[in-house]
Amino acid sequence: MPHPPAPVPAMLFLYRRTVANRLRQQMGRAKSPRYLAAVVMGMLYIWWALFRNAQLGSGPLAKLVETDIAVPIASAFLLLSTARWWLFGGERSALAFTPAEVQFLFPAPVSRRQLVHAKLMRMQLAILLNTLIFSVLLRGGGSSVEGWQRGLSLWMLFSTLALHRLGASIVHANAMEHVGTARRRLVLPLVLFGAVLVAVIYGVVTAWPMLRIASIAGIKAVLLAVTDALRSPVSAAALWPVRAVLEPVFLGGATKWLAAMPWAVVILALHYFWVVRLDKAFEEAALEATQHRAERQRRFRSSQMGNSRSRKGKLARVPKLALTGRPEMAIAWKNVVAALRGGAWRTQLLTFTIGLAAMAVVARSASDRAGDVFMGVTFTWGAMLLFIGPLWMRFDLRLDLPRLAMLKTMPLPGWRIVAAEIAAVTALHSVTVWSLMVVPLMMFLQEPALLAESGATIPIIVSVAVGVPVFNALMFTIQNGTALLFPAWVRLGTEARGFETMGQNLLTTGATTLVAAIALVFPVGLGALVLWITNDWGGWSVLVATILASAVVVAELWPLLLWLGGVFERIDVSEVAAST
Amino acid sequence: MIDVIEYTKLYGDTVAVQSLSFRVAPGDVLGLVGPNGAGKTTTLRALAGILQPTSGSIRIADIDLHTDPVAAKSRLAFIPDEPQLFDYLTVTEHLQFVARLYGVHDAAPRIPALLEELELSAKKDALPTELSRGMKQKLAIACGLLHQPSALLLDEPLTGLDPVGIRRMKETIAARAREGAAVILSSHLLHLVEELCTRLLVIRKGQLVALGTIAEIVEARPELAGRSLEEMFIALTGDDTVS
Repeated sequence: MPHPPAPVPAMLFLYRRTVANRLRQQMGRAKSPRYLAAVVMGMLYIWWALFRNAQLGSGPLAKLVETDIAVPIASAFLLLSTARWWLFGGERSALAFTPAEVQFLFPAPVSRRQLVHAKLMRMQLAILLNTLIFSVLLRGGGSSVEGWQRGLSLWMLFSTLALHRLGASIVHANAMEHVGTARRRLVLPLVLFGAVLVAVIYGVVTAWPMLRIASIAGIKAVLLAVTDALRSPVSAAALWPVRAVLEPVFLGGATKWLAAMPWAVVILALHYFWVVRLDKAFEEAALEATQHRAERQRRFRSSQMGNSRSRKGKLARVPKLALTGRPEMAIAWKNVVAALRGGAWRTQLLTFTIGLAAMAVVARSASDRAGDVFMGVTFTWGAMLLFIGPLWMRFDLRLDLPRLAMLKTMPLPGWRIVAAEIAAVTALHSVTVWSLMVVPLMMFLQEPALLAESGATIPIIVSVAVGVPVFNALMFTIQNGTALLFPAWVRLGTEARGFETMGQNLLTTGATTLVAAIALVFPVGLGALVLWITNDWGGWSVLVATILASAVVVAELWPLLLWLGGVFERIDVSEVAAST
Repeated sequence: MIDVIEYTKLYGDTVAVQSLSFRVAPGDVLGLVGPNGAGKTTTLRALAGILQPTSGSIRIADIDLHTDPVAAKSRLAFIPDEPQLFDYLTVTEHLQFVARLYGVHDAAPRIPALLEELELSAKKDALPTELSRGMKQKLAIACGLLHQPSALLLDEPLTGLDPVGIRRMKETIAARAREGAAVILSSHLLHLVEELCTRLLVIRKGQLVALGTIAEIVEARPELAGRSLEEMFIALTGDDTVS
């Protein structure tokens, strides 16, 4: 007598073996001394990043999450993130199965509900890893809850968010594909979300006079005023569901945790039943998303992602390439074209500038110390872009390595190819960071008194303009160097990843920053020495110090580039093929 | 001219290609044939400078690929079986990119001529995603021909082409050989090999099995006389079940 189909054990087997085999394959690389050294360094770094703080007894992140302002601010942030999924459909990757999963699971005797469960099971892999990373990072703090309690809270938070993103993606994808019932199904969540957003904005708007007064007292007072606004009855009621899943993570003390947990469980359970009930819409949406991903991956493997043509069929205008001249310019030009046509870099730049201009207007109307506030915002944004930008701006070797065989046939020494790949993305990203300064400069030109008030001087602004490309070159060299040295481990391509990988991204950013910090010891030391000798911290000595420091960075990058060129020439194409 | 002397490629303990030596003179079209996994692509990739040989030497137009790779690469073109194109560059922009990369001084008149020769003129502003498989193949070949290479390496060049495209491509390859290029063509389409190639290189499990014109191969292996190329291939590569 034949056995009945057992899809759940089969899927569990599939995911268990997938993880085990992938791990084995990745660890197999450690036989090579280069990868082995990376494993050792990586383990030391993870120990340092995750465990050292905990051993000190009070991790800075753990202290931060237990402050009074954490829950309201995080609730508002989370609400905005989830609103994005509803308005723009979330990330299709939330729905997608791999082509092999589609081939084996969809025609198999597996119900739609079981398919939803398969997707949920697979999402747990990333969620559990993320939970582990954040549980360790959030350890410490005298009043905090036990480790397992925080871990459970984090798992529930990430699972609820994952379910929400999946649900939003299913409803949105169906509404976009169909008319009638499917589209009507989107109306209710959009109305609900709209109401919640309006309620939160209403709370902030009614607190506007308080915010104006607080802005004079500094950023901490502003944060407290925003927190009070979010705690007003209307905003607090609207934010309750978000707060309910956040509180177990953020509230210190076992009693508070116990009181907060039941509500978080209810929200998670509601999400689960909601997503499982969407099973009919799921299959179609998942297939469509899978097809979309396959198309994107196919494009990436042979070249790039994204839609190059506008809806009207026009191609984005790009700079013209002269047919003669230094050949590496062709490589740099190609990457600029990729950013303009494939990566919508120009749109991002425009959005940044418009956003900043809007912020400038708001800052000037909201505060009597607009220059101060706006300068702070600009520099915070700039710093974020400098450190995080190289992770998502990937129009360099990380884009081209899957075509390594073709790159290797180019009649250029390796270092010139590597330099061209890095130069293009450095130039583009420098323009992005420079653009941050356009709006404040305009603002200050209109009202020069604001400049003096903000503490920024012309030499400081010029120094920032000079230092940005050099710093970007360093950061992109680190990113490209890592991709070249460890192509089998580094994510190649440009596909966006969900919040489930937030923990991994945090560690990657930390590692990059650490390497950059080591490289900057001498340049920054030299710059500081110049400023100390001249005792001029706002004048033209700043520019001299910046130029000297930049020269040292360039001197460090030069041999590094030559070495990476050698690595490029020796790298085996099969090593890259395994990672794409 | 392509000179390969004792070329060996190892992957760990696995021998991919062993002590392969041959020469392709200007105007010659060498057909590289062998069963799947014989080492054809590994050989072509080594000739293109993509893979480093474990031992042996490769010379392109009398330039050692190992000691002066840039000069050697500027004389060769490698067209892989799967066209590697940039989705965000149009057909013409691909050729402009190659022109700058290889320093083609007369690119401006050559680009439209090549587009015409390969029937790509109507698609000159199209992106690769808007091209059929055959058109992509033609674009990859156009990119390879733009700098007038001395050595032309083609891996399954007719994949995806329609009958008219196949005929046109055969004419293009033959024309390049007549102009003095040394051509190596790897293909499983034996009738194409028979029609286009002046000599054959048969490899099996990374080792040379036969090298020369069909007449020379038959002279060395008289038992192959009177057989078709397909039968010769099966006999030479060890799968004798058909014969």
